[in-house]
Amino acid sequence: MISLWHYLAVAAALFGIGLVGFLTRRNLITMFLCAEMMLQAVAINFAAFARFHGNLQGQVFVMFLIAVAACEAGLALALFLMLYRRGKSLDSSDWQTLRELGVPPAIDTQSFPAPAPVEPDPVLSPAGARPALSTEEAARV
Amino acid sequence: MDLSTFSPIQLVGGQIAIIALLAIIGFLLLLPRPQARWVTLGTASLIAAVSGLGAWLYTTFGKPMPDLIGTVLFGFFSVGALGFGSVLVTQRNPARGAIAFAFVILSTCGLFLLLAAPFLMAATVIIYAGAIIVTFLFVLMLSQNDGPSDENDRSREPRLGALAGFAFTGLVLFSLYLGSPIPASADTSKAPAASLRKQLLPVVVLNTEEKALLQTALVSLDSAGEQLSGDLTKDRDSRIEYFTRIKNTLAEVVGEPVQFEPTSAKTAVSRSGSVLSRLVRLRQELNADLELYRQDHQARAVVTQAVKLQELNAATYRKLETNLLDANPNSDLARAEVAGLREEVLLLMGMGELPASNVSNLGYQLYTEYLLAVELAGALLLVASLGAVAIARRKGVPS
Repeated sequence: MISLWHYLAVAAALFGIGLVGFLTRRNLITMFLCAEMMLQAVAINFAAFARFHGNLQGQVFVMFLIAVAACEAGLALALFLMLYRRGKSLDSSDWQTLRELGVPPAIDTQSFPAPAPVEPDPVLSPAGARPALSTEEAARV
Repeated sequence: MDLSTFSPIQLVGGQIAIIALLAIIGFLLLLPRPQARWVTLGTASLIAAVSGLGAWLYTTFGKPMPDLIGTVLFGFFSVGALGFGSVLVTQRNPARGAIAFAFVILSTCGLFLLLAAPFLMAATVIIYAGAIIVTFLFVLMLSQNDGPSDENDRSREPRLGALAGFAFTGLVLFSLYLGSPIPASADTSKAPAASLRKQLLPVVVLNTEEKALLQTALVSLDSAGEQLSGDLTKDRDSRIEYFTRIKNTLAEVVGEPVQFEPTSAKTAVSRSGSVLSRLVRLRQELNADLELYRQDHQARAVVTQAVKLQELNAATYRKLETNLLDANPNSDLARAEVAGLREEVLLLMGMGELPASNVSNLGYQLYTEYLLAVELAGALLLVASLGAVAIARRKGVPS
């Protein structure tokens, strides 16, 4: 029989994965999804406790959790939109000017590998002679 | 190395540390970075971590596994959730990450179903389907797809981040182990007899007749207001008879206290009620293995509630009787008594229905006990939508 502890352990692992993603990723949208994943892990905990105590209080709590997650999603996406308008980027490190006083800035040392050389598109060589414009045609144009 | 020199707690700590280390290595190899990633080794390390977690769970908590289908489904959904969660964290392309997140949500919805929460499953699918589509729109709108970019192909402090996340997870798992009843009873690992287990698993907490009886009592209690209206000094006998009928209906299910039996004509079964006799008899049959019985929290909760209702039923009837036979019957007091009894009957019915048809009970709880919180959540949603509009509005641009 799957017991309460199995669900708690899976939820803990899911929460850990979400935490790693939230701490390490720099795309704001990915960070937001990782935070939602952590919320899901907590919801599994609540539902498991509700099931194994035979009452519904845990499920009621998950309902409120979903409501709060919806609020968070709306506000977060609005914030991302505003930040994107200012910085034209979703990189959360672009706003590290907001860091605490005395903390050194994080500077990316590794550079991207040079992009693979792209073959230029074939261009047809011009053929034929360019017609000489008469004065009449120039006036018409 | 002789493993028997370590205590069980040290062994469990070592196992959890190995699992966490494998997960850290996997994420270090897989997190986005400008150089090429070592995908094969990272994936293998993550798979090893997940299977290590599964093996640890099986050996530590899950030795008796009679419920094969439930176990397989649980494994399927939890591996799905963890695997797609890892894809979301390590995927460079945020659009693919959003798809992986959709699968994480579906997997957790499967876990919700296994946990007897069908309404939560439906609500999560509906709400997160919308949320994911909106996120998808944002990804398509805001991300540029020309070559490597800072936000998608770099990680912030991957070593420290992975260490923090999985050290946290390892500590939670370790404290789970310490908090579980396993370490206390590690030596007495006697497997319960298979026949007893088969008897226990499909326990019907409230059967159909008991539900019907409770429903009848509930309907009578609902219309008890008519009996308590008008001049209470008249028709005392018919009123008392009405409440006696309710009391007897309830007593068939939950029984009545012994001192209210004037004669010993009734059998012991009818005195303790059908619920209690069935569930307690079951416990006596399972006496050799009380531990397994204790795992069924629902049966325990129903027994507790039935005992409570048994006493309340008798007490309410006694109070109603004295009230109605009084020279000045108090209608309000009687109504309050009836309302209190009705609530407990509803609770017992709800507990009996919990694993399967709990949607209506969830609604009942939300709109009785948590009404204020529901209103607050609604207000919160309204404020959040206003805030989102206020944040996203373009300032200084004439509309």
